[in-house]
Amino acid sequence: MLKPISIFGGLVLWHVLAIRVINDTSLLISPLVVIAKGYDMLFVTADLYPHLYASSWIFLQGMLLATVAGVPLGFLMALSPVVRDYVNPWMTALYTTPRIAFAPVILLWFGIDMASKVLIVFLGCVFPILINSFYGMRVVSREFVEVGRSFRLSRGRLFLKILLPASVPFILAGLRLAVGRGLTGVAIAEWFGATEGLGYLIFFAGQTLNLPILFVGVAVFAILGIAGFQLLKIIEDLASPWRKELAGK
Amino acid sequence: MAGPVLELRNLTKEVPTGSGVPFVIFKDISLSVKEGEFVSIVGPSGCGKTTLLRVINGLLPPTGGQIFIDGKEQTGADHELVMGFVFQGASLLPWRTSLKNVLLGVEGRKPPREAEETARRYLNLVGLSGFEDHYPHQLSGGMQQRVNLARALVVDPRILLMDEPFAALDAQTRTFMQLELLRIWSHTKKTVIFITHMISEAILLSDRVVVFSHRPGRVRSEFAVPLARPRNLDIKSDPRFVELENKVWKQIEEEVKAAAGFAAL
Repeated sequence: MLKPISIFGGLVLWHVLAIRVINDTSLLISPLVVIAKGYDMLFVTADLYPHLYASSWIFLQGMLLATVAGVPLGFLMALSPVVRDYVNPWMTALYTTPRIAFAPVILLWFGIDMASKVLIVFLGCVFPILINSFYGMRVVSREFVEVGRSFRLSRGRLFLKILLPASVPFILAGLRLAVGRGLTGVAIAEWFGATEGLGYLIFFAGQTLNLPILFVGVAVFAILGIAGFQLLKIIEDLASPWRKELAGK
Repeated sequence: MAGPVLELRNLTKEVPTGSGVPFVIFKDISLSVKEGEFVSIVGPSGCGKTTLLRVINGLLPPTGGQIFIDGKEQTGADHELVMGFVFQGASLLPWRTSLKNVLLGVEGRKPPREAEETARRYLNLVGLSGFEDHYPHQLSGGMQQRVNLARALVVDPRILLMDEPFAALDAQTRTFMQLELLRIWSHTKKTVIFITHMISEAILLSDRVVVFSHRPGRVRSEFAVPLARPRNLDIKSDPRFVELENKVWKQIEEEVKAAAGFAAL
């Protein structure tokens, strides 16, 4: 549940901090200024849209690719010890290395066009999805698997009827984690040699000390993150109505 | 069908240990169960009753011995569905409604309409009409075990295996469920292997009570229950019931003490 009072309270605190405590518009500006600038960029000059589109498009592609690759690979790792043993060291290495370290190399190899940006986002998203899909399927209760086996379900049916539905909550948790890491990926990708996008906007505004634009960029990232989380929550409620009721108790 | 429905010959289960000496869970179990017979297995904790049921059901391979169902040896490779298994605890799939849980064993084996009709019929038999669309967490413990029972019965198994199905219920619900099981069993006349810790439960429900020794589990003795059916709670005060309960308890007491002595070494 989004609590309007929490959001509003936070903004008030920020405002007071900017006006009363810091009182220096070259360091911190009031959220009112940010909102005004955001309104301006959305509805007056309308120059936010190209950045918003560019970033959203990169994000969606990276996230989608990560899901398509991560979920099945996670399942394979859970079901096959051989796959697990071979993938594990690489997965751990790639997961724990800061992605920012890869960014220059990827840009060097793939240039500054779309592919390299999507790849950076993909690298951010894929591991939480992969790890959660793997883990979700690994920890399916032994009892549930025995139920399936005692009914002599075929391997395919055991997967579809028991393992997959039992893993759904874990996969969705992985997707939620991926939203945050994916957006970070967008910022990193656009930081290096981009000509549009929210990351570029923030980078550019930072270089030119344009605080209103800088904060608009950051705020849009935050809003995208919240929107992604909420969207996944809706999907989760649709996919597993039984959990919603459990949580409501 | 003249021969036994289920026959166990010298069934043994060991698990390997680090020391090289295998850990024997049960040893040389031989047991023969007739068509429509209700057999309970009682024994001290850790005597391998539950493991035995899992081995019979093909969830675990035996280390030695043979299992015959209707005279046919079970090799573990065949995937015929001849046994229904009622699990101990919360084994209902939480993402499925009662009806869908019961459907698990029949969907894909029967045309959808027929499967659903059958599932509804068994939910009705266990007294859960009107709860088809409830999720497990919306049901009480007793109701969950009714769904569990319906789920095992719906496949029309040759043998119904029940692994302490009422162990997690409170005393009142448990007694009520025992009576319900007597009623349901009188309708289905299934061959049942019933595992329990509770001697009175075993006697109330069964035609025969098998007492297991402490680990490694062996068949220590068997008692026919000399009480007519249909039964109700009144038989608990029948002198034959009381006498049998005492006899079985004495044996279990000895086994528990022997097991404790064994552990003290």
